[in-house]
Amino acid sequence: MKAYATLEDKYFPAQQLAASLIDLAANRGVDRNKLLRGTGIFYEDIRAGTVLLSAAQMLRLMANARQLMPGKDAAFQLGRRLFPGSYSQAANLLLHSQNLRDAFRLFSLVKMQLFPFVQARLFNHEQQCFLLLDDAIGCGNEFQFVIETYCAALVSASRLLLGQRIPFCFDFPFPRPRYIQEFEENLGYRLRFSQPLLCIRFDQEYWLKTFPQASQTLKWHALEQLYSTARSPRLGFLEVIRQTLLHNKSTNLQDMADTLAISAATLKRRLKQHGTSFMQLQDDVNRQQALYLLHVKGLNNEDIAAQMAFNDIPNFRRAFKRWTGSTPSQARLSWKLIDFSG
Amino acid sequence: MNYSLLPFHSKRIGLVLCIALSAILLSVSQGELKTWQEISWLDIIGEGGVAVLTLVWLFFLFVSRPPGRVTDMLVLGLSCFMFSALLDLLDEFIRQSSGHWLSVVESIPAPFGMIMMTWALYQWHQEQLTLNEQLRRREAQSRQHHQVDWVTRLYDADYLRENLAKQLQASHSLSVLMLDIDNFDQFNRRYGSQEGDRLLREMSELILMNIRQSDLVCRYAGDRFIILLPDTPRATAITLSAQIKESIRHFAFKTFGTGEAVFHTLSSALVSAVNTDQVEPLLQRLNRQLELSRQGS
Repeated sequence: MKAYATLEDKYFPAQQLAASLIDLAANRGVDRNKLLRGTGIFYEDIRAGTVLLSAAQMLRLMANARQLMPGKDAAFQLGRRLFPGSYSQAANLLLHSQNLRDAFRLFSLVKMQLFPFVQARLFNHEQQCFLLLDDAIGCGNEFQFVIETYCAALVSASRLLLGQRIPFCFDFPFPRPRYIQEFEENLGYRLRFSQPLLCIRFDQEYWLKTFPQASQTLKWHALEQLYSTARSPRLGFLEVIRQTLLHNKSTNLQDMADTLAISAATLKRRLKQHGTSFMQLQDDVNRQQALYLLHVKGLNNEDIAAQMAFNDIPNFRRAFKRWTGSTPSQARLSWKLIDFSG
Repeated sequence: MNYSLLPFHSKRIGLVLCIALSAILLSVSQGELKTWQEISWLDIIGEGGVAVLTLVWLFFLFVSRPPGRVTDMLVLGLSCFMFSALLDLLDEFIRQSSGHWLSVVESIPAPFGMIMMTWALYQWHQEQLTLNEQLRRREAQSRQHHQVDWVTRLYDADYLRENLAKQLQASHSLSVLMLDIDNFDQFNRRYGSQEGDRLLREMSELILMNIRQSDLVCRYAGDRFIILLPDTPRATAITLSAQIKESIRHFAFKTFGTGEAVFHTLSSALVSAVNTDQVEPLLQRLNRQLELSRQGS
């Protein structure tokens, strides 16, 4: 079995996400045949609960739902339903987790069965937690839908587990949508749009706060059950590449292909299928790191250049401009203009 | 498209088909076929177009209107018109001897049909006025069916924003009330979101019953409603809000299956608009106030 899943690999059980979305659309009066058109999903298979779906199939289903469902809240409603959902093994595991940190760790074990589309990385800085989100598998046009779902699921699941609302702050790269009321209703009012980083921020105190229903015994039991059943890949295709790049910045295309045990040509072709290229992923990883160091840690150019292994400042400034479209000083200035009170 | 009304019209559809068939039979039995050279294709396109379009109109009538007096009259009028149009079209294929009685008959039903349709349209207008009265409090001065929320059949946030912008200019003392159901999430988790949708629907009916003819209620997002109260001083708005909350508090929602009664309370926020107010800042103020009142309770 491969360690990662591509867009077309069929590994994730349909009864959770796909079934929720199909039910949700049916409740809103959407014709089931129209909803499933072009997805290669058959309703009978989902009802039987045996079929495995690929991320591409699920993304096509999302695209159909987005078009056919009345209203703008489809993604948010889906997110709310994801957890605990139908009380699958995976959800059971999370229900007994100790705290948010534990829940995130456990989620990374089962995320390919629950929601394989998003790569989340956590950073701590000055009593704050920063969750940076990325496309794990090539979501293309559906990325905003995926992000809306992910954020709604995070808010509603953490509220359920912790028994109180965590004041999350959201930074979205896309512009403020017309249907802002759905964001406010589902995610709260700490929202900023058109931001350079896709990032969720919250106070560190919530990170280790114990969940009321936490149970070590039940958690281990669920873990054992999970291990005894068939295992699915742990990471999405783009996620694997990003992790390797984060580990070693100087990885080139050939090294990456060797790591994944495929030819360089196959790697290129597969990246294209996922709507990206090696160079773009490299730039993405660097851009994210540079922006994090600049905006969150507030480092100056010398320190960032040193941390990112640049030999001189002009080189770094040129690269930064290529990644983000503006120079570091411009980026600092525009960041300061944004109201932080929101 | 939704064809659910078609089965109710089986008799009327039969009537339309009979009339069309009788036109064809009459024409064929009373004349002889023309030769290819005699047929003018331009006329056929023109007259055929009229006949086909009347059939299309009849179809839309059947899929969009429930049976009733106005519908009957519209169908009859259109059928008469179609009868004449069909005879006219068949004339292009079939020659009748000049001065034949059929060419006299041909032109009579059309004006009758037109008169009947005109009368039916007047009746339709009356019917629409009645319906508008039924829709009062759900709808302001404009009708935008694409902005109706699917769950509650109230108008959505976009419609609300447009009307709020208009009212901010027109109304002197506009009050805007926001209502939010307490613990709606819990209810959804416990009884399922289908029951949640039904609760929203029934609650919006109850809210409608409690507001005045001049007010407008919209579904803002999720379990949140906004009510526009034009020309309403703050004190009156507070009384109104209290009345709505009181009536919701006494509303025993019966869940599906067990029929168990579930009671709900509302949180509310009230903003009185001033002259310089803009839509988005006002909604933000409203949202913030609601958050505050929820934290307080």
